[in-house]
Amino acid sequence: MKVTPRTMEEAQETEARELLERRAARLREQGETAVEEAVHWIAEFPLGEERYALSLETLRAALPLKMVSPVPLSAPHVVGVLRFQGQVLAALSLASLLGGHGWRQDPAVLLVVDRGDGELCALDCEAIPRPTTLPMSAVEAARVRAEGPVMEVFTQDRQLIHLIDLKRLFASRGTGGRNAR
Amino acid sequence: MPVDPLLQGLVAGFAVEAQEVVQKVTMDLLELERDGLETDALAKLYVRLGRHLHTLKGSAASLGMQDLSDIAHKLEDALAPLKANPQKMPRPVVDILLHGLDLFMLRAQAHADGRGDALPDPAAALAQLVADAPPPEEAAAMGAPAGNTAAAEAAAAIASPPPSPSPSPAAAEPEALAESADSGWRVSARQVTSLMREVERLREVRLRFEERGRELDRVVTLLAKQGLLAETAEARSLLAGTARTLRTDGEETGDIVEALEEGLKAITTRPVRTILDPLQRMVRDLSRQLGKEARLSVVGSEVSLDRRLLEKLQGALVHLLRNAVDHGLEMPVQRERAGKHHEGALTMRVEQQGNLLYLECADDGAGIDLDRVRKVAEQRGVVTAEETARLNDNQVRDLIFRAGFSTRTDVTDTSGRGVGLDAVRASVEALQGRIEVASTPGQGTRFMLTLPVDLGSSPVLVVRVLEQLVGLPMLAVEATQLARADALRLGKRRAHMEYQGQLLPVVDLGARLGLRALTPPAEGQPLLIVQSGGKRVALAVDAVVGDRDLVIRPLPSEVRDVPAWQGAATLSRGELLLICRPDWLVSDTEKTQVVAQRRALVVDDSLTARALHRAMLEAGGFTVHLAASGARALDRLQTDTYDVVICDLDMEEMDGTQLIAKLRERRETAALPVILVSAHDSAAARERGLAAGADGYLSKRECAAGRLLAEVLDVMSRRGNRA
Repeated sequence: MKVTPRTMEEAQETEARELLERRAARLREQGETAVEEAVHWIAEFPLGEERYALSLETLRAALPLKMVSPVPLSAPHVVGVLRFQGQVLAALSLASLLGGHGWRQDPAVLLVVDRGDGELCALDCEAIPRPTTLPMSAVEAARVRAEGPVMEVFTQDRQLIHLIDLKRLFASRGTGGRNAR
Repeated sequence: MPVDPLLQGLVAGFAVEAQEVVQKVTMDLLELERDGLETDALAKLYVRLGRHLHTLKGSAASLGMQDLSDIAHKLEDALAPLKANPQKMPRPVVDILLHGLDLFMLRAQAHADGRGDALPDPAAALAQLVADAPPPEEAAAMGAPAGNTAAAEAAAAIASPPPSPSPSPAAAEPEALAESADSGWRVSARQVTSLMREVERLREVRLRFEERGRELDRVVTLLAKQGLLAETAEARSLLAGTARTLRTDGEETGDIVEALEEGLKAITTRPVRTILDPLQRMVRDLSRQLGKEARLSVVGSEVSLDRRLLEKLQGALVHLLRNAVDHGLEMPVQRERAGKHHEGALTMRVEQQGNLLYLECADDGAGIDLDRVRKVAEQRGVVTAEETARLNDNQVRDLIFRAGFSTRTDVTDTSGRGVGLDAVRASVEALQGRIEVASTPGQGTRFMLTLPVDLGSSPVLVVRVLEQLVGLPMLAVEATQLARADALRLGKRRAHMEYQGQLLPVVDLGARLGLRALTPPAEGQPLLIVQSGGKRVALAVDAVVGDRDLVIRPLPSEVRDVPAWQGAATLSRGELLLICRPDWLVSDTEKTQVVAQRRALVVDDSLTARALHRAMLEAGGFTVHLAASGARALDRLQTDTYDVVICDLDMEEMDGTQLIAKLRERRETAALPVILVSAHDSAAARERGLAAGADGYLSKRECAAGRLLAEVLDVMSRRGNRA
């Protein structure tokens, strides 16, 4: 026999309890049928025609691209220097670092990242990256396969993401000076 | 001899004070040993010496260190006969007194370390001092003029019986103790450094105060321009008052920052002379030991540096000076034969420019024998014969910094083990500095050390070249002048300026930084006389903005090796100002001039787009100059010529099509190839761009796909064919 609620408050209370019960049941069902897969959190963004990403743990801040002072005679990938939390950081062109030729739009954002050696630097980017995940197993497999600083990883929906290993990227580069003119 | 436990706490402070007094006594003794001093100067030196020794005696006695007091008393006795009749101090007497001071300090340090109990009887120490003293008649014969017995008496005083009872503690002069009794704090370097960072932040806050004040002034002016004078009178008056208060607060903050900085500097730095003065003694002792004569002159010993840096540098400087005496200077006879003074000249020069420290250690000896260096390097297996054959003179000279290199065939106390200059280089590089050597056969050798220092602020002259602000350490700027045709000598390749009877090369900062093509200075253009390491140039800039007191921070690793820059400082709006290295500015520019073959001007209001286009075009062999707006591009095209212009379509104020229209109006640029770059990828946008007179049109997507260089070459080729 179904109990009919007597007042509006009682009706709402009943509705809320039923909703919570349904959610609990759904969660119990998930727990029984699927083992949650380990994931790797990334910050994903477009670069040219492709999708690139950085490990979210390397990201320290996203800043508007302004107050960058150009450094004449520096290497081509150096956009300039800026001040971040009392430190002087180099702003670098990610497209140039990766051997690319440009962005679809002018970058408006700087991503402050840990280079992997404890030092920070800023990388330019078209837009604020989107936090998302990749299956850890896919990342590990790509890491084994890749020799360079960029790993190709497929998402669960078969989208290709180029995951950048900053430690490898900066280890492979020399210093930032050009010959003085 | 044990010290009263109640006084033990003061002994450590005494040892520190005593070290300083002993250092002063040492310097005076070395001065007294030299020729050519006037009697008045001699008398003053003797009086000062006596006073210092008396201070040592009294302070030691007041702390119950009778042994030290006795030694000081003995030294006073030795001085007395010479003091009565001032004359050059004979070398053996100087030796004895120096030895006595060493003994004094050894025992003082032992007391400070609580090892006073273990010290031998003071009588034994005094006996040792006596034993080391030459016979009085010998000392007199060596130094004093015939018939003068003062020196003999001085030596005899050392050998006399132990002194009479020392003065009572009450009678002793407590001046040296007064400060040591003052207790202090022990703080870690990290705590002080973090305090300094806070002071730097406060300095930046002060700069922001100034900027806010200027903004308020602008608001008041703007309100006045609106025409509503009566309606805004109260608001304007209020704002003007706030601006005034803000300025006063800013000035007060400035005073606080100055005081804090001064205080921190006093805590964290000490004058370079504190490490250089003791080296005088070392040079004297070593040259005597080697049968040579040497005199060390120090320039810039008053410069104050971080104590930690000084401690780390001391070893390197000792190595360099020992090396100069041992390897650099010739024996007195050889020097005279070569027409030099028998006494070798060693010079230590210290100079701080901004956050860079320049240290130079020079001798006027025989110079580095490159053939010998080559031969020894091969013999010792430092390099192979094939390798030496490929080395130029500079590279051969640099072999002396390699581990295991030494031209000494015998191992002495001083050198010959092949350890020294490589250790010097390692310690300089550990401080992120660098060391270079220059040498002229028969004339001498110079070691030049450049080290970063990051304490406190320093005066910087801010100049502008095109849109770029550049800082110059004020110490490197001798004068500022305006270019006058009658003072300029224009040659085919470069200009010179007559300055104080000298012809100085004119360096165009814009061209030197690769921002524009080399242009001779225009009438009235500011020219700065910049000096570094004895070289001077006239630096042409577009404007002198003013001087600022700024904290110069080191550059990040990505740009640290660019030789033009030594650091960056924060300006009032938070933007960074790059500080130029004066030694780079004055370095020879002849060989670094690049002959441009193809030149491109990139016009884009996006910093990153400019950087990317530059990277691609430079990779294609172009010399690239940049402009951040259409107006700036037109300015550049007034003075420079380019083979191609790459221009962003969507720019504020003047867009790409407007710029093209202006270019086509002018005869000189009417046929200049222009490529438009845009985020718009539609056929309509492309058509519009080409219709405006562009020779090519690329979307950012096409640029990203690597089309830029090909398009530039294609457009240039088409224009060339048409011409």
